[in-house]
Amino acid sequence: MIRMLSMLLCLSLFFMLLAGCWSRRELDELGISVGIGIDKAGKGYKVTTQVVSPGEIAAAKPSGNRAPVTVYEATGETVIEAIRKITTMSSRPIYLAHLRVLVIGEALAREGIHKPLDHFSRDHEVRTDYFVIVAKGTTASNVLKILTPIEKIPANNLYLSLDTSQKEWAPAATVTLDELISDIVSDGKNPALSAVKVVDKQIGQTQKNIEIIKPPGHLRFSGIAVFRDDKLIGFLNEKESKGYNYVTDNVKNTVGSMACPNGEKIAVEIMKSKTKVKAKMSNGNPRIEIKVSMEDNIGEVECQIDITKRETIAELEKIAERRVHDNIMNTVKKVQRDLKVDIFGFGEAMRMENPAAWNQLKQNWNERFSDLDVFVTADVKIRRIGTVANSFHKEGEE
Amino acid sequence: MTGDGFEMTGKVQISLRQFTVLVMFYSIGTTILVIPAALAATAKQNAWIAAFAGWLLSLIITALYVKLGSLFPRRSIVQYAALLTGGWIGKPISLLFIFYSFVGAATVLYYMGNFMTTQVMPETPIEAFIVLFAGLVVFGLRLGLEVLARTAEILFPWFVVLFVVLTIFLLPEIEMKNIRPVAEIAFKPILSGAISYISYSSLPLIVFFMIFPANLNRKREAGKAFLIGTLVGGIFVIIVTFLCISILGADFTERNMFPSYALAKKINIGNFVERVEILIAGIWFMTIFFKTVLYAYGFVAGLAHLFECEDYRPLVLPSGMILAASSLVVYPNVVYMLEFDSTVYVPFSFAIGLALPLLLLLVAGLIRKKRNH
Repeated sequence: MIRMLSMLLCLSLFFMLLAGCWSRRELDELGISVGIGIDKAGKGYKVTTQVVSPGEIAAAKPSGNRAPVTVYEATGETVIEAIRKITTMSSRPIYLAHLRVLVIGEALAREGIHKPLDHFSRDHEVRTDYFVIVAKGTTASNVLKILTPIEKIPANNLYLSLDTSQKEWAPAATVTLDELISDIVSDGKNPALSAVKVVDKQIGQTQKNIEIIKPPGHLRFSGIAVFRDDKLIGFLNEKESKGYNYVTDNVKNTVGSMACPNGEKIAVEIMKSKTKVKAKMSNGNPRIEIKVSMEDNIGEVECQIDITKRETIAELEKIAERRVHDNIMNTVKKVQRDLKVDIFGFGEAMRMENPAAWNQLKQNWNERFSDLDVFVTADVKIRRIGTVANSFHKEGEE
Repeated sequence: MTGDGFEMTGKVQISLRQFTVLVMFYSIGTTILVIPAALAATAKQNAWIAAFAGWLLSLIITALYVKLGSLFPRRSIVQYAALLTGGWIGKPISLLFIFYSFVGAATVLYYMGNFMTTQVMPETPIEAFIVLFAGLVVFGLRLGLEVLARTAEILFPWFVVLFVVLTIFLLPEIEMKNIRPVAEIAFKPILSGAISYISYSSLPLIVFFMIFPANLNRKREAGKAFLIGTLVGGIFVIIVTFLCISILGADFTERNMFPSYALAKKINIGNFVERVEILIAGIWFMTIFFKTVLYAYGFVAGLAHLFECEDYRPLVLPSGMILAASSLVVYPNVVYMLEFDSTVYVPFSFAIGLALPLLLLLVAGLIRKKRNH
């Protein structure tokens, strides 16, 4: 009898374990936040979060008359307070593990971003795999309120469009939180983030926006935001952003047009691009050598040349090399002259190549950066010319 | 101080292979969770070189242990400390050793609970993890050394599989620029890194003197098994440190509480195999279990030998309760833990793990010299 009782007692202990996790949270109890925006608000922050409305996203038949996402806003002295305050409006606690984008309003970015970002690196729930972007000329809150076509979740749209434009067009910077932090703490590189613009925010915030075939309200990435340490100081335009990506070796695939020898245009698709940045000391002065090697295909011919000739290809390679060279040089010159911060990581290159010299240089690196000697060599190989040889307009003239 | 009561040490026999695996698990222990951050704090991008240097030092320390162990093939450290220096000095020395094992077991329990409440389930009270884990340790100790050794042998392949999966999945994330410049090697940070490595990973191996070599079935090759265990364990730690530095970068590794967990979070194969970090955490659940259980074994078996008990088992349950309770108070907060580990713990570990065996070796040498004259 006692044996039986003790057995039962032991067995009942297992129920404690079988009852499941202490900290369990079911999917239908979470407000899954896909985008979060931080703006300045008085002394504290305004946090805007885009939360998916599961009924509209996951259901087989969405009702259609509700927005696929909801935006909550709250202000607080600190970021975490503002996030918790959202529960006064939302039925579910905000769950940040599926975050796709973190948007920072321009006004806050100009003041400095390291304070509001601490919570995102400290909290156990937040990962580091989302993109950090800057709202150009507007607030983060406006960016997160635009409804987008095709992708039901606007934050997903931002994430994917940044990712694809980086892969196919190369004027953007896909920076995740951990990369951003290491750029902020590094002496030899300053951060650069993608900037996003809001077009027609009035209509963009309504469901009507995505009922129109060409939604008037939309988001568009436009160039790169340049930081000094953690403060926004300016923007690069699209062309300069591409130059930036050439230097930092982030070009995967892009296209560029150039002038033919006789003046009209020809476009090439860059299939492969590899950049090496070397930092050297010559006569006590730092010297940066950038070497770009690319493989191109011809993508569009609008001028009267015979591209079936080897000399023509060689000549086009020369033109393409000059073009890339000029683009990089102009970007570097502009950053050296106007922004005066090393966003290219030349200092990092120096630290890796010549640690001893770097220890001397790092004290006033940003000042030195402005009058660094930068040399660019480009090596372009045109490999293929597409599915036809010469363009048909040539034949039409004969 | 000799008698039949001491022969019980040799009754339980484990195989050399089991011993090797135990040593390996033990030297990986909590080291795998915390050492990358500690090494990156001093040696920056050369943390993996510091781990390598620590690994070499740990082989020397193991060689010293093997030497000491070979002098007393049938007795535990508690027994021969009393034998060598007499009861009045030997017993307090043994108490120091037992205290060290106790503190080790309590802190490792805290580590386990702290990891779970910081990274995985912050709302769950730390007591829940500690009581469950301490229960497991008590269970293991009551079943005895042979069962623990067999468990280690069974878990070893699983450990290797998880580790290989982690490493392979992380290979695409490696960025060699993070470990450069390799040339920026300074002697001092590497040495201080190596010292913290051995104080976490190899000096605590002293608790094996409760097993080594008295409980091994082939005592002649026991030293080799000890060395191989440390060698293999160290290789795993070096690999993890290298992955941390080359993937997370020195700065992020240094700032992270648990860099190897942050590392596992980085796994993303084609947006499909991702968010698997908790499976990878299985690696350290295994290693931390063996570290705790062996520390606790050092504590209870040490007590049993000190008081010349027939068996250590009656002490296990009360000791487990004391351990669980003291693990909750051993560190008042995380910052205290970080400070204790980087300041007090290092000399503490050196005193017990290095000075104590050196002293015993010296006394043994003197006695032998006297006898020869």
